[in-house]
Amino acid sequence: MEQIGTKKKKKKMSRPVLYVILIIVAIIQIFPLVWLLDFSLASSSEMFTNGLLILPKKIQWGNYVKAFVDGNFLWYLKNSILINGLAVLLVIIVSIMSAFACRRMRWKLSTFVKTLLLMGLMIPIHATLLPNYKIYSQLGMTDTIWALLIPYVAFSLPQGLFLMTSFMESIPVELEEAAVMDGCGIYRILFQIITPMLKSSIATVAIMTFLNNWNEFMMASTYLSSDKWKTLPFSVLEFTGEYSSNYAVQFAVMALTAAPAVIVYILLNKHITKGVAMGAVKG
Amino acid sequence: MKKLYSNKWVILSLVLPGLFLFIFAILAPICLSVYYGFTNYSGMGSYQFIGWENYKNLFHDAAFGTSLRNSLLLALGFILIQHPLAIIVAAVLDKIGGKGEHFFRCVYFIPNVISVAVIAYLWKFIYNPDFGLLNNIIKAFGGKGDINWFSYDNAIWAVLIVLIWHGFGWGLLIYYTGIKNIDPVLYEAAAIDGATQVQTFLKITLPQMKPVIQVNVTMAVISALKQMETVYLLTNGGPGNSTQFAANYLYQQAFKAYKYGYGNAIGVVFIIICLLVTVILNKIFEDRDAKVKVKGVA
Repeated sequence: MEQIGTKKKKKKMSRPVLYVILIIVAIIQIFPLVWLLDFSLASSSEMFTNGLLILPKKIQWGNYVKAFVDGNFLWYLKNSILINGLAVLLVIIVSIMSAFACRRMRWKLSTFVKTLLLMGLMIPIHATLLPNYKIYSQLGMTDTIWALLIPYVAFSLPQGLFLMTSFMESIPVELEEAAVMDGCGIYRILFQIITPMLKSSIATVAIMTFLNNWNEFMMASTYLSSDKWKTLPFSVLEFTGEYSSNYAVQFAVMALTAAPAVIVYILLNKHITKGVAMGAVKG
Repeated sequence: MKKLYSNKWVILSLVLPGLFLFIFAILAPICLSVYYGFTNYSGMGSYQFIGWENYKNLFHDAAFGTSLRNSLLLALGFILIQHPLAIIVAAVLDKIGGKGEHFFRCVYFIPNVISVAVIAYLWKFIYNPDFGLLNNIIKAFGGKGDINWFSYDNAIWAVLIVLIWHGFGWGLLIYYTGIKNIDPVLYEAAAIDGATQVQTFLKITLPQMKPVIQVNVTMAVISALKQMETVYLLTNGGPGNSTQFAANYLYQQAFKAYKYGYGNAIGVVFIIICLLVTVILNKIFEDRDAKVKVKGVA
């Protein structure tokens, strides 16, 4: 960055320098993942090398077959999609309802309730692991889908509420007034008039909720005991046993576990970037 | 209109789900933690109330002190290493524009969408003394490459490197958005005045980014306090308690050391610290820019 503006070429910062900076940072961020992919296609005996990357004698696709089958990949993926899908849906519905109640409806405690719900943003999730474990075991909820769904929705709700209220403020009240004139009830106003106008914020909330919960495993490993509802991170966490010394297969299972999120990110990268940016800046 | 909008039953039906979730998943557990924090409950069997005993012990607990020190180190790592780099890279991205801008922005964020489970295991291999990537890189540059990254003295730095690396894309994206929101007229004015690129960056970009920096710094401090997953899988606080963090420590105390009561007491203090830090940082920054609201990252 130092050698930039000599007086003659003030405006043109030497682009090669800029690209060098970007490429170095990109290598630091991506090379570990390239290394992961590379080793996942080699055989374990080839790993003990001094080189940075291996050129496998034969590409070991078998590693991925083992990872896919013995890592329970499909089962965990199904659970992840189901639980995260439901969590996103619930966060959106509940946050729209709470936002409307606290922002538009007229009652004394509206600000208090909103502040209360937003407090959730400041509470560290991990401090609730111990007492929640107790509560869920008392209620017989451990190892059920509720043990994940409830905390996932509860901890994503404050952010959803925050985003929804700030977007809702930009919707003109006149619109609702007209609807009331036409004889609409509150629920119809909320779900048929307001909700469709919140499209972009719904996308933002969905993306943030997904990013928050997709990779979560601390609650899952505390509240769940069997494989029934365990999510994708567990194909890595529970994958040792017969492969504890077969590092190449372990690399394959890591790559496989990372794949869905990375692929979806690359496909939707513009929307996700926008969503995160909106969520983070507004939040 | 007014009558419709102040119908108590409608209001109740709208806020009830949110309130229920808050009470059931956040408020009740906290109350329960306060309760168990005053007991010597081991996690099973009977227990007695022991008053402030747990809190007194916590005050002298070196491991808890180490946890807070490590959070401070991590926060400094974020603020002094990750963020300056992120701001510079964000500014460079904004400068080059076009396809490169989109490509690199996408690449930098990729580690962020990968599960901590994968990241932690991957870095365990990267630090592996036999075939690990890091020692091999040191060898490639002519070093000996026999560093034990998880020794008592090195482990905390090994943990910090992973966390700073993993969170880079997130910080970058927020700074990048901040830079995109700067009014281009300011840059045009600077160009007319003949400012160099470095001058423009220092005199326009940085001051304009102040609110974004404040939000990001607050989020960094809070996420440093809340750190658990990565350290849980990478070192689980060890060796000794050298890489301990508060959340990981309370978990260990409750489920590994069978001091459930003590674990909850740590939890209560941990929550109070998080609340205090958030409020204090907000207060500090509030004076300068009343509009900026700050939140923690869960």
